[in-house]
Amino acid sequence: MSTLTTIRPELLRLSQDQVGVLTPYFLILSGIILAILASVLKIFSPKWPVFILVIAACGAGVSESFRLLDQSPVLLFNGMMISDTYSNFFNILFLLAALFTSIISFRYLDREKLQHPEYFILLLFSALGMMLMASSLDLIVIFIALELMSIAVYVLVGFRRADRRSNEAAMKYFILGSAASAILLYGVALIYGATGHTQLKMIFTVMQIHPESTSPVFMLGAILVLIGFLFKVSCVPFHMWMPDVYEGAPIPVTGFMATGLKAAAFATLVRVFITMGYGRGLSEILQHRVHDLLWVSAVLTMGVGSFVGLTQTNLKRLLAYSSIGHSGYLLIGVIAGSKSDLSFAPGVFYLSIYAVMNLGVFIVLGLLSSRDDSGLNIHDLAGLSRRHPWIAFSLAVFILAMAGIPPTSGFVAKYLLFYSAIQADEIILTIIAVLCSAVSVYYYLRILVYMYMMEPMGSPRLLRVPLWTGFTVAAMVVFTIHMGILPAGLVDLARKAITSL
Amino acid sequence: MKVEPWVVLSFCSVIFFIGLIGVLIRRNILIILMSIELMLNAVNLTFVTFSKQLQDLGGQMSVFFIMTVAAAESAVGLGLVIALFRTLRSVDTDDIRFLRE
Repeated sequence: MSTLTTIRPELLRLSQDQVGVLTPYFLILSGIILAILASVLKIFSPKWPVFILVIAACGAGVSESFRLLDQSPVLLFNGMMISDTYSNFFNILFLLAALFTSIISFRYLDREKLQHPEYFILLLFSALGMMLMASSLDLIVIFIALELMSIAVYVLVGFRRADRRSNEAAMKYFILGSAASAILLYGVALIYGATGHTQLKMIFTVMQIHPESTSPVFMLGAILVLIGFLFKVSCVPFHMWMPDVYEGAPIPVTGFMATGLKAAAFATLVRVFITMGYGRGLSEILQHRVHDLLWVSAVLTMGVGSFVGLTQTNLKRLLAYSSIGHSGYLLIGVIAGSKSDLSFAPGVFYLSIYAVMNLGVFIVLGLLSSRDDSGLNIHDLAGLSRRHPWIAFSLAVFILAMAGIPPTSGFVAKYLLFYSAIQADEIILTIIAVLCSAVSVYYYLRILVYMYMMEPMGSPRLLRVPLWTGFTVAAMVVFTIHMGILPAGLVDLARKAITSL
Repeated sequence: MKVEPWVVLSFCSVIFFIGLIGVLIRRNILIILMSIELMLNAVNLTFVTFSKQLQDLGGQMSVFFIMTVAAAESAVGLGLVIALFRTLRSVDTDDIRFLRE
């Protein structure tokens, strides 16, 4: 019964700089509480106050995280959480994803007659879960943050309550997601049994002192935790839910899932790997097992992502397979990270680049869709360049970035990733990745062919692009091209984030 | 009578896998929800057993958090079942086939 006696009262008090680094989390939490209060006030329509509160909380959180970016690491809550450059880097990413998703959701919800304030509150809850997850150093805290993030998203996926597809998607996602969480949790329990700790640093220390504690129980636990994570980032063979959920979810939610959830799961995976000493100090057998598991999963994921994607005509499903393929490339970053001198920085860089272009695609698709998320077949894009040259142009930039064609950011991201994989002696993996990437170019280019070379069918619907959405998309296009030509700033930031771990 | 820890731990793993198999093969969504609860409770029992064996309170603390999360999860799950039942008039997974596989 050592735990109770080791808790000292001074550990329960927060010092000045601990409160300082917790500001982003407090801001989001107070934003949530105020939004809940505003949503129950029946005096006026709650839609505007809640929306403004959510935007303000996200904006304030982003600026606070920017301020804390160069802060030296601060341990929080008895070593269960940490605030460093890495966590603040990802806080900015998650909060920007939540901010842009809220902005585009507002008009979407009006159109679908779904204007309930709960939507924005759940979005903010999910963002808070992501922030906590990427900055936690304890497996139980990771689990709670993961559930905070996921449960909010289950509801968001099923938000179009009267639509059967949305309900189905939510139900499938819920069942598979909670089964995966339970598997992850069983892994945590086994690791706890083998080492006596749930804190990552303590587990690592125990493994260093007693290498024999890497028993079959620990091994099984580690693999179950890994399976839980692979499910969350939708790697083959745990990818079946993704196309269905992407198709059924409301478009802004799909965009949020593709950027925020994926980034959060990968960020946490990388933090767990580094803290547990993957590549330096982890026992040989475990290292090999994990490496082989990830290697096979990466190859299968890239394969499914590029080959099954070829047959899709629904744009949401097509993007789901593209997203599966990108998970495969990100896994390469995780595999190679331990052995190349760029460390995990290419993976982090890829994540941020991918988040921007993916969100951009989903914003444009949100503009193009008509009621009930219909009109998202690839044939509906025919002749888009003639009707709306600017929308077509921005979609083209994002799609080219996804395919990894210069001078867009996607090319630089893939280049860095494959470069680090070659440095880590993963030649076969790199060759497979390049081939899969070449195959996937086919379906990306098909979108461009439809937009630029096909005659429009039927009577084209005239779109009105709201000012804010226009600005957002334009900023993302500029970012995507800018990072394709001058990526050094963001690469440095990613390296700084990784070295802060 | 003293129960050996390994007996309890094997019991937990059996319950966990019954839950997992239930999620995979049962067709009624309510039974699937029960299977997920079974998995989480097997984890709880594992935590408690290890906690007793290691003489460390951390595991027993974790159980409280897991129980809270499990309650929230089943609340959301039942809500989704009701929403699905309203549009589908069924709680059978065989009827969930509107989205193309």
